[in-house]
Amino acid sequence: MDTKWKKSKVLLSYLAFVIGLTMMVTNMVPAVSMAAAFGTEIFQGPVDYQESEEFRYLISERLSDLLGVATGGKSYSSYDSGVTGVVEEAADAVGGPVTSVTIEDFGGNWDDYEAYLEEQQRYYEEILAETGYGYTDAYDTYSAYYYGYDYSDQESLDRYMADMAQNKNLRYAVIYQNKLLYSNIDGFEEKAGEEWAAADFYESLDKNAYNFTLWFNRSGDGKVEITKDGWQEDVYNETFGNGVYSENSRWRVPGYANYTIGESAKDAVIFLAAAKEPNLYLVKRDGSNQVTQYGGRLYHMQQNLDYLNSAAERIGVVMSTSILLLAIAFLMYKSRRQAAERIADFLQKVCLEIKLLLLLVLIVLLTGMGGGALGQLGWWMRNGMSYYNWSGDYIYEIARLTEAGGYLACWFWLIYLVVLDWRMNRGRQKTPVFELLKGKDFKYPIQKRLVKRQRRTLFAEIGLLLLFAAAICALWLLQGELINWLTGGYAYNYAYDGAYEAVAADLGYPFSMRWAYMLIAYVIFTALFVFTLITVISLKKNHRLAKDIGALTDQILAVREGNLTGELVLSEDTDLQEAADNLNQIQKGMETAVTERIKSERMKVDLVTNVSHDIKTPLTSIVSYVELLRQEENLPQHVKEYIQILGEKAERLRSIVQDVFEVSKATSGQLPIQMETLDMGKLLRQTMADMNDKIEESGLIMRTAIPDTPVPVLADGQRLYRVFQNLLQNALRYSLAGSRIYLALTEEDGQAVARIKNTSGVELADGKDFTERFVRGDESRTDGGSGLGLSIAKSFTEACGGKLTVETDADLFTVTVRFPMDGQGQAADL
Amino acid sequence: MNECVLVVDDDREIVRAIALLLEKEGYRTLKAYDGMEALRVLSENEVQLIIMDVMMPKLDGLSAMMKIRERKNLPIIVLSAKTEDTDKILGLSMGADDYVAKPFNPQELAARVKSQLRRYTMLGGIHAQNEEEEIVNGRLCYRLKERTLYADGEPVKLTATETKIMELLMKNRGRIFPAEEIYERVWEEPSFSPENTVMVHIRHIREKIELNPKEPEYIKVVWGIGYKMEKK
Repeated sequence: MDTKWKKSKVLLSYLAFVIGLTMMVTNMVPAVSMAAAFGTEIFQGPVDYQESEEFRYLISERLSDLLGVATGGKSYSSYDSGVTGVVEEAADAVGGPVTSVTIEDFGGNWDDYEAYLEEQQRYYEEILAETGYGYTDAYDTYSAYYYGYDYSDQESLDRYMADMAQNKNLRYAVIYQNKLLYSNIDGFEEKAGEEWAAADFYESLDKNAYNFTLWFNRSGDGKVEITKDGWQEDVYNETFGNGVYSENSRWRVPGYANYTIGESAKDAVIFLAAAKEPNLYLVKRDGSNQVTQYGGRLYHMQQNLDYLNSAAERIGVVMSTSILLLAIAFLMYKSRRQAAERIADFLQKVCLEIKLLLLLVLIVLLTGMGGGALGQLGWWMRNGMSYYNWSGDYIYEIARLTEAGGYLACWFWLIYLVVLDWRMNRGRQKTPVFELLKGKDFKYPIQKRLVKRQRRTLFAEIGLLLLFAAAICALWLLQGELINWLTGGYAYNYAYDGAYEAVAADLGYPFSMRWAYMLIAYVIFTALFVFTLITVISLKKNHRLAKDIGALTDQILAVREGNLTGELVLSEDTDLQEAADNLNQIQKGMETAVTERIKSERMKVDLVTNVSHDIKTPLTSIVSYVELLRQEENLPQHVKEYIQILGEKAERLRSIVQDVFEVSKATSGQLPIQMETLDMGKLLRQTMADMNDKIEESGLIMRTAIPDTPVPVLADGQRLYRVFQNLLQNALRYSLAGSRIYLALTEEDGQAVARIKNTSGVELADGKDFTERFVRGDESRTDGGSGLGLSIAKSFTEACGGKLTVETDADLFTVTVRFPMDGQGQAADL
Repeated sequence: MNECVLVVDDDREIVRAIALLLEKEGYRTLKAYDGMEALRVLSENEVQLIIMDVMMPKLDGLSAMMKIRERKNLPIIVLSAKTEDTDKILGLSMGADDYVAKPFNPQELAARVKSQLRRYTMLGGIHAQNEEEEIVNGRLCYRLKERTLYADGEPVKLTATETKIMELLMKNRGRIFPAEEIYERVWEEPSFSPENTVMVHIRHIREKIELNPKEPEYIKVVWGIGYKMEKK
């Protein structure tokens, strides 16, 4: 129960962490963008569209438009004509720019502005004539006037105003020289041309439906009065400012100290009222089955704001949920860390090569899919959502920003996993491929390894060089497609020749993306080329160095194996001259030392040989005369006994001399050894058979455990026989009377191990090395041994490549002889 | 018949002891104390066998032996304090018939003298009898028909098993037999740990045929593998 809860706690905390963080990162992008564009009030509740800058802009434009109508001049506005879309569509089709300009753009120069507009008008007439767009009944007469109605033409003006009247979101009244010219306010429509008589139009409107009013020049002062919900606004900021128009002014309307109207406008009075909740007004035209939409601007303004509001609300909910989840995750940080460790453990099990490959694939995928979205994001951060205030693209843009946030979250988690793996699994990564490459290496001698490694680098460089050459070619060939892919389809609409520069400029890059990619590719290509060149140049030199290193290591090996002649000569002016010199010095020193040691060893052996020879000659006489004495017949009994003793002692002297000679030869390494594969079990049985008489004489009991299967070892049979003969003799000689001798042969870790155990007759001194020459268990030295038995056994064993150890435990005396098993000889005819 | 043996050694006591021992065995002896003297004695007397030390003043044993071999074919037993195998091989390859290391067992020396003389005087002429019916190996000769082993021309008294072993080994001189194989072929039944049994018989045979059973020259143990008859 407890563990179950713990387990789910780990899972829950980590799920909270992952979901919370993903939600946060994903929604962070649209949230920040929206806050930047609309301020934080967008998150705080419904926003009044009349408070937007867009609304103020529209109202001021409409005022100037109506002023144009009143004074019979020209207006250049296109509000709610319903034609806009069609013309834009036509313009789009031929790729021409759609521009909206005002007189301010021409520095207030009317003539220039007029000339520009005329040119534009001609241009659009051509376009429309060519494409045939937009010529349906309702539009044809004035669609060409999109960029400038000529209100002096009464007929077209009437049609325009009739169109405008359909937009009931915006009520108006135009009065000139005290005469009502146009109005779409109920009850006044028919009164056109009548005296105005200073009637308040607002009185006849529903004040709840229309909460915004604007009067121009109501009192003949050329100023604008604005009321909203019955409250008058300080249009010119006279309360706190000075009534001068500046960039920060809310309203761009006439009446400022520095923005007055012309003479003709002084006779005009304009009334405007805006609906509190705008609607769409659809009107079916006579003699046509088309429906025209009016009032869309204000309606969509409100709609967009409402949509933004709800989006902001949603984002707010998501963000607070994510904060809650993160809070939970951080409160359960211990469980969360456990989960992270578990994930790291899982990652550790996947070998590094696969992970790197996966990472690469994911990066390519994310760049390909999300590159465009993320590219847009950067642009977005600079320009903000305000750019889109004029159109209804909020829905699309918020979706796109959320998508970009999603990609950002993907990147975030990818980096998180990489960092987690790097932090937790450093030094314990599984790298079978690298291991293989590394492990393979050791088969070769060092110089080959070095050359191979360098060659690998060269091949890698050449490979990369070719790859980049191919990449450059591909960039040339697939320009459009590639750019398109890399920008996530952003450039799709611009896929005409030479359009990338435009895209780049549009995106705010200093120059074309293609050129940027090409430049990067060229730089990397050049760098790689230079690296490859350097590798090729240093190849020869490194080859020589590798060769020298090889010679050096070979020489070190030779020295280790005892070959001390032959100086190491490397190529001229090599980097390793000092090392070679040092090695030669060491070699020389060793050679001298070895020669000297050999000399002294030889002297020692010579000495022993000479001494033994000098002892043997008189010994021969002694033995011979003892024999002669023994053959004498008429000797008294006691003399015969003396002769017997002389004979025995002479024999013992002989055997001691022989042992000394052999042991000195064996320890000086001058014992000739004939190695062959033999069965150690058989050898032990033969030895025991050979010594059977002595064993029986001794009265001791042999307990043997020798396997029937062959135990092959590589040794000199004659010497090994001497080893076991000595060991058995030792055991027979020094064992406690009536005790048992144990002889066992076993296989341990690929070694043949023979153990002889016996109970000593005399007390064994602790810590004595019995294999030392002339060391005996019995200090009195009165027994028959030379004290060389174990010493000979040990030196013979070692001369054959085995190991002999002696252990004593109280009176238990154990000799162990170990030989490596000879695998090859197992099948030989044993 | 009283064969004459020339004893050469720079150690006078050794020469005297050897001479005494041999005279007790019934040989005549001549003495020399260096190589030159040996050559002189040899030229003046009829000698059937020479026992000679290696390390001697004036002319050493090996050089003297080479000179003797230029003219005579009599057996020479080399005595030496050098016991290395290489020394033995050198001596034997330079013309020695036998090699005895100092300090020697006087009785063994006497046995070797007897063996050499016997082969020299008795077998020398009547050697090539019937080759198919006998196997000759150094001092040993096994007559297949008689199923008898001869050592230095004299029949050796062997038991039936010993004879079987000797027949097997003499027929396959130089080949190594594991104890199991010897047992199975001689006793004609499966073996179980035959090492001891075989060894006992071999020891008995050695006592009968070897001059020094402790250092056998004919039946040798190949340690860890088996037994073999040395090919002479």
